[in-house]
Amino acid sequence: MSVENIQKINFEFREKLNSVAEGFRHNFCYQCGACVGDCPANNYSGTFNPRIILLKALLGMEKDLISPDSEIWNCTNCYTCWERCPQDVRPIDVIIALKNLCQRLGQAPDIIHKISNSVMESGITTTVTSATVRRREQYNLPPVRDYAVDEIKKIIGSK
Amino acid sequence: MMTTKYPWFEAAVRKTTAVIGMELVDIEGFTCCPDPIYFQAYDKIDWYTIAARNIALAEAVGHDIITTCSGCTATLSEVNLTLKKDMELKDKVNKRLKKIGMKYNGTINVRHAVTVVRDDIGFDRVAETVTRPLNHLKVGVHYGCHLLKPSHVMNVDDPDHPTILDRFIEATGAKPIHHEKTLLCCGRACMTDSISSNMVVDILESIKANNADCMGLICPTCFDEFDTGQIILGRKLKRNFSVPVIYSFQLLGLAQGMTLEEVGLNMHKVKFDKILEAVPA
Repeated sequence: MSVENIQKINFEFREKLNSVAEGFRHNFCYQCGACVGDCPANNYSGTFNPRIILLKALLGMEKDLISPDSEIWNCTNCYTCWERCPQDVRPIDVIIALKNLCQRLGQAPDIIHKISNSVMESGITTTVTSATVRRREQYNLPPVRDYAVDEIKKIIGSK
Repeated sequence: MMTTKYPWFEAAVRKTTAVIGMELVDIEGFTCCPDPIYFQAYDKIDWYTIAARNIALAEAVGHDIITTCSGCTATLSEVNLTLKKDMELKDKVNKRLKKIGMKYNGTINVRHAVTVVRDDIGFDRVAETVTRPLNHLKVGVHYGCHLLKPSHVMNVDDPDHPTILDRFIEATGAKPIHHEKTLLCCGRACMTDSISSNMVVDILESIKANNADCMGLICPTCFDEFDTGQIILGRKLKRNFSVPVIYSFQLLGLAQGMTLEEVGLNMHKVKFDKILEAVPA
């Protein structure tokens, strides 16, 4: 193999990842693989692998990681990798940082925007319907409260 | 999710905790925690900020936050613990909260209702409130991820050998059944349906193989995945799983003599009635 074909580490991407909350943790991964054995997404997909995701982050493989179809979206958010990691890398937190980066770069799947918009526009992730109101009455529960949307709008999105 | 989609879970919590001697206080102005999956994936700093606002509301009245949903517990516990330790982040969040005249101080704790039941009330006291012991009912335990992990954040139980739900179920007179997939994730957050579907099928089959009458859990998102999810999956795979799913506080409600309707079991997609024939009236 000629020297020209050797892939170089994309440090620019790693800097971008460092700038997102908890993204810096990827720097401490020494690729031991403790995160893989009990990862349900790994056991059930055969393709999702938290160690490989961390390796790609270390190499700065932006194209593989930053897209709505990236393997990162198959994470089940079970937190087992955080539990197992001897280095406190918290692979799930790096995956979440990668997801935040996708969102910033317009590469997050629609469902992320749909649910987040609901929180920003109504204060909750689900929708209050007439059935909600009726059922809460039926079970003698307090009525749905005011979800302080105005306050939420004031405290989010400021960089 | 519980407020809007599963209000009968909330009813079961309010009714049963009153019987065992827990006083709950509603706090005005709470919003979505927000959820630890989609909103955290959107923007973690916004996620910290909205959660900190909710915690600050509880701080203002001097109460711990008691959660009844594992996802809410995950968000509020992680944010609370992180902000208590990370002063730089706390300042950043407080700068945002200042815009609405609020401040996060880090003076309270976030606790899941089942830990309050275990640690403050005690399962013995819970058992004393049981008027209709659910003897003969075998409950396949499903812990779900966010009640337990990350363990030093959640501070609930040993994530690999948990007992809290087993003991909760035992207090109702029912028999908790551990099965091969007791600790497997429900898969809900995974964006590829086929991956999560296979997890759901394995868990349901594991429960059936161990002759449990139903599945007992504590997380409304897991519930969604196993109740409605079971029907959708059954249609797709042309299979009838017939594993009724019950939220732990509904189980306690039944044991305290409440009716199927009072705890909302008649609202579940997979019907529960037949199972109760085994329970003395």
